[in-house]
Amino acid sequence: MSKSVIYLENVKRYYVVGDFCVKALDGVSLNINRGEFTSIMGPSGSGKSTMMNLIGCLDTATSGLIKIDGESTKGMNETELAYIRNKKVGFVFQQFNLLGRKTALSNVETPLLYAGISPKRRKEMAMDALEIVGLKDRMKHKPTELSGGQKQRVAIARAIVTDPSIILADEPTGALDTKTGGQIMELFESLNLQGRTVVFVTHDVKLGNMCNRQIHLRDGKIVEEY
Amino acid sequence: MFWENFKLALDAMRTSKLRTALSLLGIVIGVGAVVAILNLGSSVTENITGSLAQGGSDIISVYPTPNERTKGVFDIQFSDTLMNSTDGIQTISPVMSSRATLRTKENTATSSMLGCESTYFDTQNITFDTGRGFTAQQNIDSNQVVVLGSDIAKTLFPESSAVGKNVTFIMGDDGIMHTFEVIGVLDEKEQSYTMSYNNSVYIPLNTYSRRLINNKVVSTYIIKLKSGYDTEVVSDQINKFMDSIVGSDGYETFSPAMIAKMASQVTASLSIFLAAIAGISLLVGGIGIMNIMLVSVAERTKEIGIRKALGASPSVIRGQFIVEALTLTLVGGILGIIFGCILSYAVVNIAGWTLKLSYNSFIIAVGFSMIVGIFFGWYPAMMASRLDPIEALNYE
Ligand SMILES: Nc1ncnc2c1ncn2[C@@H]1O[C@H](COP(=O)(O)OP(=O)(O)OP(=O)(O)O)[C@@H](O)[C@H]1O
Ligand SMILES: [Mg+2]
Repeated sequence: MSKSVIYLENVKRYYVVGDFCVKALDGVSLNINRGEFTSIMGPSGSGKSTMMNLIGCLDTATSGLIKIDGESTKGMNETELAYIRNKKVGFVFQQFNLLGRKTALSNVETPLLYAGISPKRRKEMAMDALEIVGLKDRMKHKPTELSGGQKQRVAIARAIVTDPSIILADEPTGALDTKTGGQIMELFESLNLQGRTVVFVTHDVKLGNMCNRQIHLRDGKIVEEY
Repeated sequence: MFWENFKLALDAMRTSKLRTALSLLGIVIGVGAVVAILNLGSSVTENITGSLAQGGSDIISVYPTPNERTKGVFDIQFSDTLMNSTDGIQTISPVMSSRATLRTKENTATSSMLGCESTYFDTQNITFDTGRGFTAQQNIDSNQVVVLGSDIAKTLFPESSAVGKNVTFIMGDDGIMHTFEVIGVLDEKEQSYTMSYNNSVYIPLNTYSRRLINNKVVSTYIIKLKSGYDTEVVSDQINKFMDSIVGSDGYETFSPAMIAKMASQVTASLSIFLAAIAGISLLVGGIGIMNIMLVSVAERTKEIGIRKALGASPSVIRGQFIVEALTLTLVGGILGIIFGCILSYAVVNIAGWTLKLSYNSFIIAVGFSMIVGIFFGWYPAMMASRLDPIEALNYE
């Protein structure tokens, strides 16, 4: 029996700039079940990042209902949202967003720090996650000493280390060359095969086709879905 | 979490050493000034109180001023009158004094000569290097015995012990000579505000008034209080009584305890005044902390965004930056304490006192700098915690 991990019902996100209203997301409804591998596609400005940020609780909707793991995020304060981000969501960004002064290991440990896990356990869990992405031997390296693909692997290790319900990746291959991007995609694929729910944004049709589910956005609305 | 934040803060300091050092300057100077001032205050108090206490803290001295009204009033018997006038007096010992020239075969010394009772040595906390003081009986008998201050003893008897030897007193313009036997030499004693013990010689009061000088005027009444009586209260009563007899310009009173109290009050208020100045530099230092923290928050906007995306709650972010501000001020505080100690040591050394470290000042200084850290770190930390995660993440 498949279980809903992401549930959106008529979600809107409007930005008011001066007396102009940008409808970044304009009534999106969507359900993603555990274990699905979903790609989100669409032209620039269609609201892909906006949707990812809402799912990841980095942002709050203007209206509509969002449920993560069956729990509505409506009316949650910043502390509660932070808790969801920490426990339920693993983010992977286009620009890696690693902490520049920290080693790969302590980057991966950071979410565990906020989860209140003991230093010893943190280290074990972070090393396991780095092992999964194949970078255990680079754990003492700082981001500046790593290639783009390696940085993204560290970021993926950081996203999976808390064993979240959802892995959200906003154009994770956008800053990488095709070959490296392909390797990163394979990594996501294998994570999905291990049972993790992955949602990622891409402009690359070939990468999108690797997924069992595709969602196409245009002007803040879902225009195609299969 | 605190430990993690502390390490983060040290990291942040390490990456911008010069900037950190410059922003800490205000705190270092402020804390240094606080520490120096409090240390100086405690050293001054200790040194002044110390030298005053040499005269005895439970002693009040009354000095008659020779004038028309006081003529014939201040004799030895006046002690009893004074004694009966006031509560709280244990003993009154009258002292007469003048200058005298002393001579041995080889040496001559000029000193102040005190005629006093046998209890004098006790009330002044005088101790003997060799020999002893004269007895009450020797006073009654008007014996020609003398106790020498340490400097006089050295001058008159540079090579050998003075006790048992004779000295000749040469009195007045006509140079009448009296031979005295030395029965004691005092230990060296720091001079009090009114007495130079080392340069004086001490003979029995009766010997003084009957044999040496035909003048019955007492130069000082040394009043020792009963224990438990307040110097100030008793001296007020004495003043009132003296006023009624000879008027306020017929005498002066002096008590080491009161002078010490005044000196402590002066240094205490001086300390407070200077501490206020130090407070201003702490304020300036605090603004420096606020400045560096604001810069730090602005520079690390992206980092804050990342941490928020990873699940750091606003209070966690706030904690991180407050701990960072606290770490800064704590380091500043420690440097300030070192600076303050060096400063007070230098000043005390120049003044020729001994340094008395006030450990309270360390606690006060660290407390001050922590308060400054929390106070001025709060606003930047608040700003950091309230950053919008997406805006922070997209910040370049
Ligand atoms: N903070 C904001 N203020 C105003 N408008 C915004 C803001 N963030 C996004 N938008 C607008 O919302 C719309 C959707 O933006 P979004 O970033 O979700 O697009 P996207 O699909 O991710 O595009 P891309 O493929 O270029 O990343 C855009 O028109 C954008 O200009
Ligand atoms: Mg986008």
